[in-house]
Amino acid sequence: MIQHWYASSTVGEWLKRSVSFLNLGVIILTLVIIVSEFRFDWCESLAGRYLMSTNDSRPEIGSIWETGRHTVNARQSLNQMILQRETLGRTARNADSFLDLTQGLGAGEWANLDKDRFRQLYLSLTPSHRHKLIEPARLIWLLNGSTTDRIFCEGRIGGVKIYFIDSGNRVIHQIDLENQALTSTTADPFFQGALEDIPGFSGSVYPADMFFQAVFRLPPDMMPDLIHDAETLLTRTGTIGRVGVWNTAEEGFIQLGFEFNQLGETRVVLIKAREWAVWQLSLALKGEDQ
Amino acid sequence: MKPVSAILTTLRVLFYSTFLITGIGIAGGSILVFQATKDLPKLPSPLSRIIETPQSLIYASDGQVLIGLGERQAVPLDMVSPDFLNAIVATEDHRFFEHSGINKLRIIKGLYVTLFKPGKIQGASTITQQLAKNLFFSFEKTWHRKFKELLVALQIEEANTKEEILEAYVNQIHFGAGAQGIEKAARTFFNKPAQELDLSEASLLAGLPKSPTQYNPFRHYEKALERRRIVLGRMVAAGYIDRETADQVDLTRPVLHKGRTDSRTGSYFLDALIRELISVYGEDVVYHGGIKVYSTLDPRLQSEAEASVRDGLDRLDKLIGLNQDSKEKTQAALVAIDTASGAVKAMVGGRDYYASEFNRAVDGRRQAGSGFKPFLYYAGFQKQGLQPASLYMDKPVSIPVAGAPDWAPKNFERQFRGPMILKQALISSVNTIAAQIVEIVGPDAVIDVAKNCGVKSPLNSVYSVALGTSDVTVLDMAASFSVFANLGVKRDPFLFWRVEDAMGRVVFERIINDRQVLERATAFQVVDMMAGVVEQGSGRSVRKLGFKRPAAGKTGTTDNYNDAWFTGFTPSLCTSVWTGFDKKKKLKDKRGVGITGGRGAAPIWTDFMLRAMKGEPERNFHVPENIRFETVDITTGCPPESQNTESLLEVPGFLRQILDLPKPQPEPPKELKTMTVAIKQGNVLCQEDNDDTHP
Repeated sequence: MIQHWYASSTVGEWLKRSVSFLNLGVIILTLVIIVSEFRFDWCESLAGRYLMSTNDSRPEIGSIWETGRHTVNARQSLNQMILQRETLGRTARNADSFLDLTQGLGAGEWANLDKDRFRQLYLSLTPSHRHKLIEPARLIWLLNGSTTDRIFCEGRIGGVKIYFIDSGNRVIHQIDLENQALTSTTADPFFQGALEDIPGFSGSVYPADMFFQAVFRLPPDMMPDLIHDAETLLTRTGTIGRVGVWNTAEEGFIQLGFEFNQLGETRVVLIKAREWAVWQLSLALKGEDQ
Repeated sequence: MKPVSAILTTLRVLFYSTFLITGIGIAGGSILVFQATKDLPKLPSPLSRIIETPQSLIYASDGQVLIGLGERQAVPLDMVSPDFLNAIVATEDHRFFEHSGINKLRIIKGLYVTLFKPGKIQGASTITQQLAKNLFFSFEKTWHRKFKELLVALQIEEANTKEEILEAYVNQIHFGAGAQGIEKAARTFFNKPAQELDLSEASLLAGLPKSPTQYNPFRHYEKALERRRIVLGRMVAAGYIDRETADQVDLTRPVLHKGRTDSRTGSYFLDALIRELISVYGEDVVYHGGIKVYSTLDPRLQSEAEASVRDGLDRLDKLIGLNQDSKEKTQAALVAIDTASGAVKAMVGGRDYYASEFNRAVDGRRQAGSGFKPFLYYAGFQKQGLQPASLYMDKPVSIPVAGAPDWAPKNFERQFRGPMILKQALISSVNTIAAQIVEIVGPDAVIDVAKNCGVKSPLNSVYSVALGTSDVTVLDMAASFSVFANLGVKRDPFLFWRVEDAMGRVVFERIINDRQVLERATAFQVVDMMAGVVEQGSGRSVRKLGFKRPAAGKTGTTDNYNDAWFTGFTPSLCTSVWTGFDKKKKLKDKRGVGITGGRGAAPIWTDFMLRAMKGEPERNFHVPENIRFETVDITTGCPPESQNTESLLEVPGFLRQILDLPKPQPEPPKELKTMTVAIKQGNVLCQEDNDDTHP
């Protein structure tokens, strides 16, 4: 049966319709919703809870997170700086030679060195070279006197600077160490790197076979003056690829550098040879070239 | 019946339409919520976790804290005065403890006002909404941002108790004057912890967040009190206090703390230091790293420097005829360096930091004028074997310049005095003689000396560089003259000794490394000449004004009197002072006479040095072993007796000895002017080439 809707024709009918069960239900429901919202804020609570449920998946953006990030960045930067200083400090403390020290400190990097460590490093030098580093009298004053508060090392390209500092942070003495000079003054004849890294050998590097062939052409009594003690070379592992002859003589000796290769690493072992024997060797090497 | 029916029909349509629109609104709102949720910021838990930022501290050389940077110090609610909490709640959101993040009635009212009252906008933000805005959002006023802020406020309410929300709010709110958070505000404005604020102070602070600038009590005290009256009224309305109490408090005038008055450092030195720290460590470390920086600033000297500059400029204004209403004011800058270390002990970058933050001590570059001549004389002594007693002619000079008109510098006094020794030439600041020297040594030699001494500003390789035509900073001048004070030993100027992290681990420490950049005895000769400037030359006002300690220096006045300098030193403290206008404008007194370095800057220098050196032991400049002092005639460069003797005798000295003739009595010299000069071993006095003087 089809019911045709028609507009109320009388006020009575309109009122009757207005207070119909459906209309009243809708109005009451609406009022309940509105009043309960104003009374209990359930709409806000619902939205708040929903947002809480999505909190973990939302981005950390906004000014306060930025500030937090700045703080984290700052802490990381500072920790990195401190860590680097501690690492450099350990490097300085553990260095076995001044050469180790220069290799451990990059340009602009610095570390403190205690007096005892400096004393040990100094004593590791050959006696003939110690005085070149610093006059003994001055060193005794610096290390055993009360003026020096601490020793500060600063790396630079090709070497290291060592500052003796008083309690007012004032430099009272400074030593400039060159890598090149260190390779010739260090008692430990060991250098991590290739012959090209040591400027003193430039232009005088020969293949090992050529070098030894020239050695064997020298009179037999001359050979001990070239390589007096085999121990230094025999205790090193790896194969000798090239040999360098130092460009200048020092106190009747000239240094020879034997470049060892092992597992892709290159090291140079330095030994001292009599000057006159090396000159003979040089002639032999030139003859070989010819 | 028809009209009634039509009305009823309309009502019905309205009812259902409203119902439909509300439904659509709810549906749309839900969609908006889901949509906006995607890029809503995440909320930290607890809220206070990310509010706290460690404070970086900068200390003065005496250990006092100069400034704390980037501080966000959160305090729990029980460490905040209840009066303040009541005041802020009553003022900002009196229904805070009743709503769930938004105040619907205020929103409806706000919407009504905004929509139906043109030109008026009614805010409706609750404390929670303000917190959401301050923590996560910009201050951009868009509906989109407002809606997100509302959503975050709802989440904050759902995730936190009212106490937690209020605590986060009071700890991040801005009060102006660089104070963020109630604890810092209480300390900034009243120098006390937030817990100790009384009702008068608390209600004043509670009124500030509405407009921290407009109600800043340091600048607008009366306005701040008016605002406090409103706060007190709201507290009465909310039932926190009674009317009588409010009226009593309204009559009180809380005393403000006389410390920093805004977020700016208030110090040119600190600005320069912070900038340097940022260039080394970055902003994050400086503002958020909680580092401790031990600066070189000596608070006593700084205070004396500020006072000297202030008094000196007042005096200069009177001299020029400027009054309070004058638009353009004279400016000054001062840098004082401890010569023993290079530490900058005091720095003033201008007349008033709050009027102009531009730091004229390190950022302002001005011509040094004759202040540059010491570098020239040093270069002449070193390169050409000249010495203080070398004789030169003060005469018109014209030096050819390739591709440009000849350079013909004039003397300041526009007259020429004939022959004179170099020490006198520096004392009298003779430009023509300086020009003759730079012609023979070349401008690059002068630049080399200046650079070796620590002048960092770019210098032009032209002859006139010797007369100070290149722009330099006050710091340049103080640093480079301190090399002379140290007899050639250079110690780079610096602003901080040490930097530590929050745990006291050393990040940086300054090592003082001396470098001998000038030859010691030659440097002393220049110092001795500069001492002459102070004793009897263009800087003699220093002595007139009462500074009696051993000192040396040089004035500088540029063409047209745009800049007036005095840079001088004792053996322990080197200070440079510049005065002038920011815009290139002549410094002339009321009579139209130009103001020189001796009149403009030297009095400030003297005043400062008198104050700074008070109580310090007097020290003389150390005289190198290979220096001897000779008295010479300033117009011949020869010892006075030898000149007189030779000039009066017709019989050569050796012949007179052989003949055993009596020693003739010289006639009394006619206005003989002599001067003591420092002569280095190897320098020869009264050389033959003095006869014709240097051409």
